[in-house]
Order: sequence, then C-alpha cells, then structure tokens
Amino acid sequence: MSKILLIEDDEIMPKIVARILPATEYQLDHVSNGKEALLKLEATNFDYDLIITDIMMPYANGFEILSKVKNQSRPIPVIIVSNAGNEDMIMEGFKLGADDFLKKPILPAELLIRVKRLLMKNT
Amino acid sequence: MALLQLSAFPSTIESIFRNAPLAIQIAMVFIVVAITGTALAYYSILRSRYRGYRRDKKLSVLLPEIDNLIIDEVLTNPDMQQDIPADQVPLNLEPFQRLPLDRPWARQALTDRIIHFRRNVRGNMGNLLRNLYIQLELDKDTMKKMKSRRWEKKVQALVELTSLNMSIADVTILPLTNSRNRELRAAARHAYIKLSKNEPFKFFDVVTDPLLMWDQVELFRIITTTEGIAIPNFARWITYSGNKSVVSFCLKLVVHYNQLAAVPAIIKLLDTRDHYLRADAINCLGKLKVAEAEDQLVRIYTSQPLHCQIEILKAIGRISSGRNIDFLKTEFLHSTDFDLRKSAAKSLVKNEWFAKQVIDELLATSSPENLRILKHCMNPLIKY
Repeated sequence: MSKILLIEDDEIMPKIVARILPATEYQLDHVSNGKEALLKLEATNFDYDLIITDIMMPYANGFEILSKVKNQSRPIPVIIVSNAGNEDMIMEGFKLGADDFLKKPILPAELLIRVKRLLMKNT
Repeated sequence: MALLQLSAFPSTIESIFRNAPLAIQIAMVFIVVAITGTALAYYSILRSRYRGYRRDKKLSVLLPEIDNLIIDEVLTNPDMQQDIPADQVPLNLEPFQRLPLDRPWARQALTDRIIHFRRNVRGNMGNLLRNLYIQLELDKDTMKKMKSRRWEKKVQALVELTSLNMSIADVTILPLTNSRNRELRAAARHAYIKLSKNEPFKFFDVVTDPLLMWDQVELFRIITTTEGIAIPNFARWITYSGNKSVVSFCLKLVVHYNQLAAVPAIIKLLDTRDHYLRADAINCLGKLKVAEAEDQLVRIYTSQPLHCQIEILKAIGRISSGRNIDFLKTEFLHSTDFDLRKSAAKSLVKNEWFAKQVIDELLATSSPENLRILKHCMNPLIKY
C-alpha cells in the first residue's frame, strides 16, 4: 500500500481525493497547512511514497515544502495541485523539482493516472 | 414608596431639563442621543453575532450531510465510472429531499457547496454537479436573486451563474455591465465574458462611462484568464468606438494578443486629435514592433506633445530596425528635455546591434550629464 501525504487547506479537496484514490490501495494522510506538513514529514522521517500539495497555504507554502522534500537523500515525488494559473509560479514549481502539476479544477481520472504513473516510476 | 419615587423620576428629569441653561440642555440631548445610539449599536452587534452563531451551528450539522450526499450521489455515482455523459446520468434526488430544502439558508448552503465542489473537479463530474443544481431547482433561487433590488444579491447571483456555467439572457445582463455600482459592474462584465457564447465583448458597444484604470485591470485579468472565449479582432472598437477608454483598453488587448491584423486601425489612430489616445497608439505600435510605422512616427515627431514624443522614441527602440540611429543620436545630443534624452539613449542602446559605433562615439565625446544618462541606460540591471 502506497503512503500519500495530501497538503491542502481547502476542506472539500481532501474528501474528493480520498474518493479518487481508493483506500484499499492508498493510505492517504491529510494536513491542512505547510507547517503541519513539515511537522508530519519530520515525525515520520519523510516516510511517504508521494506528496500531493497545494501552493498557496498558510504558514509555509508549497514551494517551501517542495524544496525541503527535494533536499532529502531520498527525494519523494511531488504533485502540485493548485488553481494558480500564473505561468511563473508553475515554472518555479518545476524548477524546485516538482514531478507533476495539475490545475484545479482537476479531472479525477487524470489525478489517479498521474499518481499511479509517479508511484510506478519510483518503485 | 420605591414605586412612587420611580414614577416621579421622569418629572424630576423634565424639571431639571427645563430649569437648566441652554448649553446644558443641548449637552443633555447629546448625552441621551449618544447613549441610545451606543445601546442600539451594541444590540445590533449582539443580534448579528447571535444570528451568526445560530447559522454556524446549523451549518456545522448540515454541511457534512451535504458533502456526504454529493460524494455518494455524484462523485461516486456508478454511472460515472462507465464514462456515460453527465446529461444521461440519472441522479437520485431522494436523499437530498431529506435536507431542510424548504428553508432558504439550507438551499443557499447547498448551492454554495455545489459551487465549492465544482471549483475542485471538472469534466463529467463537474457537469453532473451542474445537473444536480438544476434538478434541485436551485437555479430558480438564483434567478430570484437576479431580480432583487439589492446589488449584493445580484452580484451573488452572477457569481453563482458564472460558476455553474448557466446561460443568462443578454437583456438581463447587458444593462448591469454599465451599472454605477463598481462591484456589480465588474461581476456583470465577468459573467458576460464567461457566459456569452457568441459575442463576449458586446458590452464594449454599450459602455457609456469611461473604463477606469481599476476596471481595465479587472477586465484584463478576466479576459486573459478565462478559458475558451473567442477573442475578436479589437480593431473593430479601435476604429468605431466613441468611448476613448474602450479604445485605449483595446490597444492593450491588441498588444497582449499580438493582433497584427489591427495594425492598420492603430496607424489610422495616429491622426486622432486626442493626444493621450495617440500616445497609447504609438506605444502599441512600438510593442507590436511595427517597422512600417517607424517612418511615419519620425515624420510626426516634431509636431507632437512631450509624452507622444517620449512614446515615439521608446517605440523606435522597441522596433529596433536600426533605420533611425541618426535621429535618436540627434535627439540625445540636442534635446533640452531630460526625459527625451533618456528615452533616446535607451532606444539607442536597444538598437545596439546597429548603433555600436555611435554609442562608442557618444561614450567618448558626450558631456558629463549625457554620459551619465547613457551609462545608466546601458546598465542591464536598471530597467527604467
């Protein structure tokens, strides 16, 4: 079972993602801001197979999480899911090492396929 | 005894008031008004807080119920897994009837939640959420709000219709794009651009008041971020619109969409008597790098006001054809205005490919002030 950390401050999105990614195949942990995410990652010793994160969040934004995660000896694949349409922000995400980007509103099937693809690539 | 004293209290106050000097009487009136006003303000704050508390309490029970229903009936609808188009998916509305949908606040909460879900998912699921909104007849509430006399209700209705991609008749929405209320005007324009299938920019024809700078910023954001709208040739408004702010705004859109087809209309605009509009047209030609217009710009240069001259110099720099190096050099050396010299120097630097020799010569022979201007313009770290 793959362990996924979802960092998202929207209250609906975690419910949607939980339905898209079946609980039988994925263990989904949710935190609602960057600070909680960093605490969670440190507490679990970065033991996640994938991170799905928003960009604009309170306390620490998606870029900070990204740079922290990508500086680890075992970088975790990261998918950015955001409604930021700004090209510079998307490019900044990829420069920091994001593996994929999905713009909100998302296509559920697309998220599922991209999650599967990244997990397969990293196993 | 106490009751007797209490009944005598107003008459005591009245006699004090009557016997007091005028200044004291005025002060007493002010005190009474102030105390009553403060009491009313506190009462109104308490009342609205209590209402908010009651609403939050009710919503904290209702929202999880709504979320679960939407997830069960829409997001995990078995037909959705089989790629059946959303309009052919039968929705089970019965569970939704268990919600207190006879109450306006509950209907509003459901509408808001459907919109919230639609902001997160699109495709077939997004369409099914829209179907749910229509089948529960929540659109009727929205249309009622559109007819409300309160502008904030209208804005709310417009946001709902836009978020759910519902069509609105032009006759309903076009007058609102000209509303005196800024919020309503912006929401109506946003909705019109998003929802009008044929002519999303038709309201440019009916705008009577000037588009303020803030309106332009908002409109620019809406137009450039709305997906799937047909971008027309803005030359139409540049040529025919009587509203100068619309023309000026269209020039900015022409630059953004690099509409070279609009160039003849912009060149024609150089003959306009409004020099602010002319400056905008020159700016637009420069940003579009229209080399054919360069000679005309140089020809009209001497008869232009200062800000048009600055725009001409900047345009020559942006076009960078190298055909007017001598003109730029003359302006840099002999102009008496600082901004003209600075713009000429900047344009010379932008034409560096052709003007290398001239720049070297100027660096060697310029006066100390001109040398400072030239070095400032040559510094790639300084943008302005």
